[in-house]
Amino acid sequence: MLVNLAQNLLNGLMTGMLIAIPAIGFSAIYAVLRYPNFAIAAYATIGAFAGWWLNSTFGLGIVWIILIAFCVSGVVGVAAEQVTLARLRPAGVLTVAIASIALNLMLENAVRFLFGNDLRGFDLAIQPDWRILALRIGPQQVQNMLLSLAIMAAVFLFLRYSPFGKAMRAVADNSDLARLKGINPTRIAVATIFMGAGLAGVGGVLLGLDTSIDPMTGARILLSIFAAAVLGGLGSIPGAVVGALLIGMAEEVSLLAFPATYKTAIGFVAILLILTLRPRGLLGERAL
Amino acid sequence: MTILDVAKVVAGYGAAEEILKEASITVDAGEIVTIIGPNGAGKSTLLKLVAGLVPVRRGTVQFGGRDVTGLDALGRSATGISFVPQERNVFGTLTVADNLLISAYHDRAKAVSRRETMYERYPLLAEKRKALARTLSGGQRQILAMAMGLMSAPKMLLLDEPTAGLSPKAADALFDAITALNREGMPILMVEQHAVEALEISTRGYVLVTGRNAANGPGPALAADPEIRPLFLGG
Repeated sequence: MLVNLAQNLLNGLMTGMLIAIPAIGFSAIYAVLRYPNFAIAAYATIGAFAGWWLNSTFGLGIVWIILIAFCVSGVVGVAAEQVTLARLRPAGVLTVAIASIALNLMLENAVRFLFGNDLRGFDLAIQPDWRILALRIGPQQVQNMLLSLAIMAAVFLFLRYSPFGKAMRAVADNSDLARLKGINPTRIAVATIFMGAGLAGVGGVLLGLDTSIDPMTGARILLSIFAAAVLGGLGSIPGAVVGALLIGMAEEVSLLAFPATYKTAIGFVAILLILTLRPRGLLGERAL
Repeated sequence: MTILDVAKVVAGYGAAEEILKEASITVDAGEIVTIIGPNGAGKSTLLKLVAGLVPVRRGTVQFGGRDVTGLDALGRSATGISFVPQERNVFGTLTVADNLLISAYHDRAKAVSRRETMYERYPLLAEKRKALARTLSGGQRQILAMAMGLMSAPKMLLLDEPTAGLSPKAADALFDAITALNREGMPILMVEQHAVEALEISTRGYVLVTGRNAANGPGPALAADPEIRPLFLGG
């Protein structure tokens, strides 16, 4: 029993590390633009397909796949934002949030139209799982965790130390004051969408490496991403990471007590609890 | 020499509402000018109009001999006008050091050396450089906000009620800092609730009532005027 619990916690940690990357993207977009962008699921799917296509067509290595998938999802994200959501911003947060759900469906079906509904897997050597004590862990999962950590570190360093990252945080903090200081919030918003959608795309690649991909890849983790961001505090980057790890572990541990069908309920329960008990989230700056 | 010349401006927020009704002010080189008046007189609106945050409906704004009436806030700041808002005037989630740096976003090459100047001028900012701005006390925060306003090397500083909410001691310290800055030649235009203290350090003052000029004159003289005092001393 204890071994099972430990194994599920470990699995959950790995799931959480994968959810964390798109959750950071989701939260960053929320922090700067002040609306939940549910199209993040489609951006993850698009990144996954871009990565899979590069891998199966050119046999590119993982670092190249991640970099290019980041850019592809980022560009699609900015284009979709400018053509659709940006025009709806004057109509208010709720309108843009609902429109992002519609945008998500459109992009998901565009992927379906281009690549079909089949499951696809990256072209990777199959490696046996490692056994450490009584726990199983796959080499691919370890690689994913390391990649995820490296990406988190890169995002953290960028936001913390680069002038552009500081400008992003300034706009997220107080866009009126940022404008007074000569920072153009519109330009920062575009860059944030690029980064957020790009991170979602990278998350899609990591998910694809872990299992397989299809047009629903992003949609399947959307609730977990949203729950992670709300749990950690919408708009907080460290919060998104903490939230993702907690959601991932809670989902896996729930398997010990409930049938797998109920796994998705964990996200809803987490959102319900956090909104009731602590609406600004674990690490959030302000209430929703 | 006149640096700022605001002539007969009309402005307001809503379509029909007129808060400023042909108000006029000038600021000369090296002056501290304070605008006082009862609540709702349009003092802050006038300051925001100079900063480009409130559009000019009629009248003109000239700065440094140039007509800037049509410029927005980004354009006005590029001409050398620096506005320090009354509230939410620092980035609470950034460190003091980053608040200063980000305030010279378009002058990154000079930002670090200017920040050193600010650290020398206001040692408390050097002490607190690694602290998040939201952890500062009210007085420290106002000093930071003013230093942020100076990071763009402006030609004139606009201060919107800099001592609002401060303890008398912190307010005195801030007035000292404002005087010291002005003595080095920085023209300052400010709006203040603490009218007497503000007028006493001001070269000139304007009394604004319901969007119109009601009186003006040398600061200390206005502060002592028995006919002016009831207008702004809250009864």
